[in-house]
Amino acid sequence: MSLTLALSKGKLLPGSEALFRRAGLAFPESGGRRLVVEIADLRFLFVKDMDVPTYVEYGVADCGIAGRDVLLESGSDVYEPLDLCFGRCRLVVARPRTATGDLRSASAIRVATKYPRVAAAYFLARGISAEVVRLSGSVELAPGLGLADCIVDVVETGRTLEANDLEAVEEVASSSARLIVNRASYHARRQELRGLVDRLRGASP
Amino acid sequence: MNGPVERLLHVPPGVQCFVGEEARRRRRIEERVVQVFEGWDYEEIIPPLYDYADVFGGAALEARTYSFVGRDGSLLALRPDFTSLVAKIAAGRLAVRPAPIRLYYSGEVLRYEPPKAGRQSELFQMGLEHLGGDRAAADVEVLAIAAECLDGLGVRDWVLALGHVGVFNALVSGCRLDTPRLDALRERVEAKDAAGAREVLVSSSTPPEIAEAVARLSTLAGDLRLLGKARAALAVSEAAVASLEELSQVAEALGSAGLSERLVLDLAEVRGLDYYTGLVFRVYAPGLGFEVGGGGRYDTLLGRFGRPMPAVGFMLGLDRVALLLERQGPPPEAPPPAAEATSGPDLGVALRRTRERRALGVRVRFGNGGER
Repeated sequence: MSLTLALSKGKLLPGSEALFRRAGLAFPESGGRRLVVEIADLRFLFVKDMDVPTYVEYGVADCGIAGRDVLLESGSDVYEPLDLCFGRCRLVVARPRTATGDLRSASAIRVATKYPRVAAAYFLARGISAEVVRLSGSVELAPGLGLADCIVDVVETGRTLEANDLEAVEEVASSSARLIVNRASYHARRQELRGLVDRLRGASP
Repeated sequence: MNGPVERLLHVPPGVQCFVGEEARRRRRIEERVVQVFEGWDYEEIIPPLYDYADVFGGAALEARTYSFVGRDGSLLALRPDFTSLVAKIAAGRLAVRPAPIRLYYSGEVLRYEPPKAGRQSELFQMGLEHLGGDRAAADVEVLAIAAECLDGLGVRDWVLALGHVGVFNALVSGCRLDTPRLDALRERVEAKDAAGAREVLVSSSTPPEIAEAVARLSTLAGDLRLLGKARAALAVSEAAVASLEELSQVAEALGSAGLSERLVLDLAEVRGLDYYTGLVFRVYAPGLGFEVGGGGRYDTLLGRFGRPMPAVGFMLGLDRVALLLERQGPPPEAPPPAAEATSGPDLGVALRRTRERRALGVRVRFGNGGER
């Protein structure tokens, strides 16, 4: 039985492909529409980045590549043996540049985010009651339109924030791509996994 | 979703209903496991379905316990776990019985579980507890029984991942970490994320050599050959090495008994019910993304009930075993022979003939001939 690998077809895809090429491992041709591709004893599943931890946690995939941000949000019970050191970004609290007053002294705030679990836990730990508005994208719009006081979102360069008159005020977590491994596969298929993990480790900075 | 019709026709999320072939398969599994338990001279215990909530007072389970107020005002809880109940009964009802006491159970426990991989609110557990007696002997006995169960069930390529909570506890005992940070550290070590573990410790007063040992601990999972590497990596803590020696003694005995191929080391196995004090292990097999069962040593639990003695236990989840065997595609069992239709125009005659066939052990389907 070949190993199954869950990969994001989103923003981590180019970095994953580059990593595999550096490691001398075959990688499916990009631009294909097939969501399951089998080459050289590896079965690749291409799924939404938020779903990668789910496929791995349930054991449908033996391993996968997911951002730390996504892992924090999913709370999935998977092993994370390797920081692959690409796809670096920060999860931040951002709000309009024009906003005044201390975020921490507000009695209640409304937060728009794609990361409701992370956002809720972050504000709870700081004793701020936050109403979390869950969005699936274009989160940066929310404060300007009055949907939320601030957002919790990932930032790479900060340009999107800037273009929407937002500024990062607090860092929630830093993130990078991780190799994640199913708990049972890690032990029960360790011989097969070891080759793959070693090559990926060797190809990571 | 929850209208009156749905409530009458469907079972709520978290519980299941098994019919016919499915139920039969589960019974077979249970019978096989129980046979092994009996074969190692364990006695069955059928504990109550609920007890005083205090009995299950471990922090790990409290939040997941279904509790309710009894008629007399006492707080009761549906059993979320068998181990506490068995410990209580061993310390109370069986107080005069000399150790070691060997008991097994097979039945449901109930826990609030978020709907997730392989989790139900109603879980069927088959397990045993070895109370008192020599610790090393009890550990190897329990692991050997687990092995025999798995082979007897026809599970393929299973492994026992062995760890020892004493290793991690010894390393962090000198770190003076507050609870949130300790939880964060445990979570990172369990995730086998060495860099993450280092990050948690970086701003604490943990001595650098201990921080490094904790980070290395998170990578000490794999073949038993890692034991040598582990000794070197953990040399900073005498207590950690002592726990490791305990573990290698157990692994060695199992290896001599022909089980070395089935054993893997997992020193990053640091989570779980907070009553474990020594050896911990989990059973994994390809085809199921999570453990099939597991167990460990809990030397302080019996003291809570007034009869301090060391103890070790293990359990298999019936639901998980059933799912695993289905995924691994076991050889199909022969279906039971078709029933013999026994009917006739005269009800009395037909019934007499049917009873005669039954006395011979024949499977019958009695009826008036109108059904198929």
